Amino acid sequence: MKLFIKDIDNERLVTWNFLIDDINNTSIYNPYCKSADYYTVFKHIILSLLLDEEIILLDSDFTKSELIQLTGHSDYAEFIKPIDKSKMSLLGNKKELIEKLSNSHNKWKITLFTSGTTGIPKKVSHDFNSITRFVKVSERNKKSIWGFAYNPTHMAGIQVFFQALLNGNSMIRLFGLNTEGIYTEIKNNGITHISATPTFYRLLLPCSEAFPSVERITSGGEKFNEKTFKQLNEIFPNAKITNVYASTEAGTLFASQNDIFTIRPEYENIIRIDNNELLIHHTLMGSTDTEIDEWYHTGDVIEIVSNNPLKFRFVNRKSEMINVGGYKVNPTEVEEAILTLPGIKNVRVYPKSNSILGNIICCEVVTRSNQITESSIRAFLQSKIQEYKIPRVIRFVEELSTTRTGKLKRN
Amino acid sequence: MHEKILKIINTVLENRSKKRLESLTPEMHLRNDIGFDSLDLAELTVRIEAEYDIDIFEDGIVNTVAEILKKLESY
Repeated sequence: MKLFIKDIDNERLVTWNFLIDDINNTSIYNPYCKSADYYTVFKHIILSLLLDEEIILLDSDFTKSELIQLTGHSDYAEFIKPIDKSKMSLLGNKKELIEKLSNSHNKWKITLFTSGTTGIPKKVSHDFNSITRFVKVSERNKKSIWGFAYNPTHMAGIQVFFQALLNGNSMIRLFGLNTEGIYTEIKNNGITHISATPTFYRLLLPCSEAFPSVERITSGGEKFNEKTFKQLNEIFPNAKITNVYASTEAGTLFASQNDIFTIRPEYENIIRIDNNELLIHHTLMGSTDTEIDEWYHTGDVIEIVSNNPLKFRFVNRKSEMINVGGYKVNPTEVEEAILTLPGIKNVRVYPKSNSILGNIICCEVVTRSNQITESSIRAFLQSKIQEYKIPRVIRFVEELSTTRTGKLKRN
Repeated sequence: MHEKILKIINTVLENRSKKRLESLTPEMHLRNDIGFDSLDLAELTVRIEAEYDIDIFEDGIVNTVAEILKKLESY
């Protein structure tokens, strides 16, 4: 496969050979990477692996105030350093690059940010083994052409990237394109594999055309209803549809053909069920700033279907995290951002179910002045938090609805 | 109904600090012409649902203004 990545939004058509030349000619490295250009992000990750150095991925739409909160900086120019060329030999071809990338990396780690349980996103780092735990390299997989349908700085995107990278595949960006554009890319490039959020697939429907090149459709999070499932089967008649369970903390853990997950025997010792909540052993986790116990509480409530072998399905989430089209939003973080706007007395952020995104963020606010409008709050938040975290419906109320215990009620 | 939909669409646009529409034609594409992304479309459904009690996206994606009007008329 000659093509490395095609990203029509950034007008990129990059071959593996170009990538290799580009890496050979690169003389500086910055551990911080913040770019909306997929190729730039991918090249940066590859460079970090070759140098065996940490890479810190920042969402391209993080606001200045989020960056300062997360990293203590909003500009990263001071972290640029020259590459010691004596430590990094010139690459000859794609095979050599992939071989080098597949070898052990002692110091390398990748750090990203995920919605934490407290106000601000938390930092999660993974080493090479944990990030590639589910990468399958095989002759068959070497023929895959990936439709890249995730944000490249998020865990799911990184896992697709590594699967494609270590198999020497081509990646075609689909994320952020309109429906027509997505179909055109699938057809013109003969895409065989797509991994995306349920929202991504929902936005493709309905469609009268079929795309026989697609062999595998993977989705995570909420399950599809029967109708969506049927429609997807019609559009992708040759595709096997797989549901995965994954999190930023642990990466992909289980896969299933429907909503029932079967635990393989080798996994039985590293997961546990406590009070219907799924716990996973700390050895499966990336490292975080906060101490984790031996068992990590995922906050996912499950229902056991059978015990031997262990089969279960996900019922709901214990935590208050709101899933917006595959992005997790912490209501506390949003509330804290809104409260920094002068004139806001109190706020409650809550989810409302939505046929496109699964959930959308809503809030009710108590204000001190009637100068504050829905659009003034929205405009203010645009400089504070990422767009998907901003409430789409804002209600002005005299007082917040609370539960009897005085706790703010979310549902 | 036409005017009301225009008003709702403009509210969504203004909330994203985008330019208001002067007028609305049935063939306008929600994403390609009006510039809505999935977050905007989700907001649009909520606002239309609040007004008409209909989830226009319940059976899959709606692409144009004409399709919205058709959905609302059929109820």
